[in-house]
Amino acid sequence: MTHTLRQSGTLLGFAAILVFLTVQLPGTFLTTQNLINITQQLSMLAVVAATMTIVMVMNDFDLSVGSMASLSGIVAAVLFSMGFPVWFGLLAALGVGLIGGLFNGFLVSVLGILPFVATLGTLTVFSGTAFLISDGKTIFGRDIPAGFSGFARAGIDINNVKVPFLTLAALAVIAVCWFVLEQTNFGRRLYAIGGNREAAYLAGIRVKRLRLVAFALTGLGAAGAGLMYAARVASANPTQGSGLMLDAIAAVFLGMTMSRYGEPRVMYTLIGVLMLGVLDNGLTQLRVDSYIREILVGLIVISAVATASFSKQTRRV
Amino acid sequence: MNHLEFRNICKSYGSAKALDGVDLSLRGGQVHALMGENGAGKSTLIKVLAGVVHADALTAKVDGIEITLTSAQAAQRVGFRFIHQELNIVPQVSVAENMLLGRTFPRRFGLAVDWRKVNARAQDALAFLGADHINVGAPAGDLNTGDRMLMKIAAAFVFDPVTDERAVLYVLDEPTAALTSAESELLFDVIGRLAATGAAVLYVSHRIDEVLRICDSVTVLRDGQLVSSGPTSETNKAQIIRDMTGRDVADAYPTAAAAPRPNLIVGMAGVSAGPLSDITFELRAGEVIGIAGLANAGQSILLETFMGLNPITSGHAQLQGGALPRSPEHAWKRGVAYLPKERRSEGLMLNMSIRSNIALPHLTGVQASVRRERQMAETLGRQMRLKCEHLDQPVAQLSGGNQQKVLFARALHGLPDLVLLDEPTRGVDVGAKYDIYCTVREASSKGCAVLMTSSDLPELLGMCDRILVLQDGRQAHMLDCDGLSSSDLLSYFYAPKAA
Ligand SMILES: Nc1ncnc2c1ncn2[C@@H]1O[C@H](COP(=O)(O)OP(=O)(O)OP(=O)(O)O)[C@@H](O)[C@H]1O
Ligand SMILES: [Mg+2]
Repeated sequence: MTHTLRQSGTLLGFAAILVFLTVQLPGTFLTTQNLINITQQLSMLAVVAATMTIVMVMNDFDLSVGSMASLSGIVAAVLFSMGFPVWFGLLAALGVGLIGGLFNGFLVSVLGILPFVATLGTLTVFSGTAFLISDGKTIFGRDIPAGFSGFARAGIDINNVKVPFLTLAALAVIAVCWFVLEQTNFGRRLYAIGGNREAAYLAGIRVKRLRLVAFALTGLGAAGAGLMYAARVASANPTQGSGLMLDAIAAVFLGMTMSRYGEPRVMYTLIGVLMLGVLDNGLTQLRVDSYIREILVGLIVISAVATASFSKQTRRV
Repeated sequence: MNHLEFRNICKSYGSAKALDGVDLSLRGGQVHALMGENGAGKSTLIKVLAGVVHADALTAKVDGIEITLTSAQAAQRVGFRFIHQELNIVPQVSVAENMLLGRTFPRRFGLAVDWRKVNARAQDALAFLGADHINVGAPAGDLNTGDRMLMKIAAAFVFDPVTDERAVLYVLDEPTAALTSAESELLFDVIGRLAATGAAVLYVSHRIDEVLRICDSVTVLRDGQLVSSGPTSETNKAQIIRDMTGRDVADAYPTAAAAPRPNLIVGMAGVSAGPLSDITFELRAGEVIGIAGLANAGQSILLETFMGLNPITSGHAQLQGGALPRSPEHAWKRGVAYLPKERRSEGLMLNMSIRSNIALPHLTGVQASVRRERQMAETLGRQMRLKCEHLDQPVAQLSGGNQQKVLFARALHGLPDLVLLDEPTRGVDVGAKYDIYCTVREASSKGCAVLMTSSDLPELLGMCDRILVLQDGRQAHMLDCDGLSSSDLLSYFYAPKAA
């Protein structure tokens, strides 16, 4: 009983936000075009948060996703400016994400460093590397091929509504993460590791390898999001992804308040992402100062998590 | 003398009634047993007395004066002391700190913790129990299972100047489940002394012989309801079992179905591994070998050797013609199943469903199949008489014995070639024990080789073909179970190895 209340608390909050914005912004908030815009704006966050869910299922997390996103955008842009073809830049950037993620996984699972410490370290390593290879400059203009940035502006017409490719890409990533976590044995094993690592190990689960793979996937997702970002703004600079990390973790936490036993689930993460995205969009339209926006987002995450853990406590004892 | 009355205790979890109008009456100076099958409601009743679970209805009186039990502090204040079923310790901090957890630490000048006093109080409590071999300064995580249990038990006896004069009730929830017979004797002695101080003792155990020996009266619960209550002198083992289960259960061991087969599963010759040495035995398909010895003679470590957790350093060891597995993953793949000793820390994902817990080592292929997992869990759950609402229920909601059955189901699925059972019937009721014995027998008659440890000597004698006796990690004897008695076996624990 209490847990249904706990589960629906965040959803009720989301509904309240929607109603508030619809009333405050008549004719501009609840329009197809605005909603499409929102999905495009938060497509990067959706990708990072969905792949972040993969490590958070194991009770781990990855602080380096934001700087990895910046790094991957820089890698692609630098290669473009050196005249390499688009496909090559993309593959190289994704490769960097995979390798960076594997490195995180190596630190955490093979060397046994706490994820907080390990990924805090790689956060600065990745970000430093991005500054190093870009010389600290923003890469833009003619260096960015139209084939790359054009992708972010294009979309598919469905019923006369242009659904942007970025939205579709995010949906695809979410679908893959959902499938991997909910429908495969790999996902079952990750949840088991999150449930009790020692017991999972003794039950024959290859804990080290799975953690390695999970971190690699998170790194790959971060790199993908970095590319989406760079394409959308048709430029790359060594700090542009840094806001993604906290938002992604916040989205997963919001999602965890909705699940049955407080475990991360991709679909709930998506709701968390939508909440943050809608709020951001609405408050921008209401011309609320960006600092106030940050304060509000923080308070909302805290109150959602607090309600959840409060009702959990009353249930426990 | 104190007189404690609890009337009409009710507690429901959703639609399931864990306790349904139970009455309990305890007298100071007497040891009162609380018995019942797994899931009968014993631990729930105790948690109600401890104030950690809120009863839906309850009238509690001490010497005719009504009391409320709404929090752990309230229960502590009226003088109730508890030793709960599940061992929850804080491994990083010292034994003394673990023992004084939740109490006010003695302080100097009302500020700094007086560590000398903390240690001294812990030391006194351990000495009271006769367990002063435990070092109060050591991190609790370094203790082995038996000593951890002793530590938890001793914690209930820590002298507390604020409350201790008024200890009117000691409650022990399956304290002997993790103890060897020698450690249990220590505890029985202490229980006798506690009762002599005039406090009432409520004692939960699945070991009927033990109850008949040390308890003055016994209350039996079934499915949350009171079935019988009276002095132990007016009842007997068969009657208690009937009260508990509602049916006649053979309090015996199923007979071995067939002689072991010729194919060799395990061959060990002069093996040393970690603390183990001189390990030499052959285990054939369909054979059951028990591993026995005094506490921590290396029983669990010997099992872990087959999970790749304790690499061998010398000698020849083989599993079905190959080397021993390198890791648990490798072991499960090669048909070795394992039931670890500590079900909560090493065995279960408590927040996950029964189904996922059973299926975990048996997941095959890429795509998950809920249907296959459910089938697996259903068949085995029924065989084990698992008491649960449904298979998607989280394991944390099951009673202790039923959690153990989940681990059993996991180990025996798909008929392993070798199954390693570390204290397999810990906390399991008589009826379910019999079901488990039958399941083990059935597996072994189909060709599964079994290595098991148990601190319950009759169980070892009843279930095993042979028993390997360890002394300080060294294999001292290999005994044939035919005609061996418990006391014979016990004497071999001390007898030096024949030259
Ligand atoms: N938190 C909970 N949520 C739902 N059901 C619960 C919860 N805790 C206990 N139960 C149920 O209450 C019943 C009684 O459990 P309890 O732990 O008291 O059994 P027990 O007699 O101590 O058994 P055991 O001998 O196995 O320890 C069981 O059916 C159990 O599944
Ligand atoms: Mg119990």
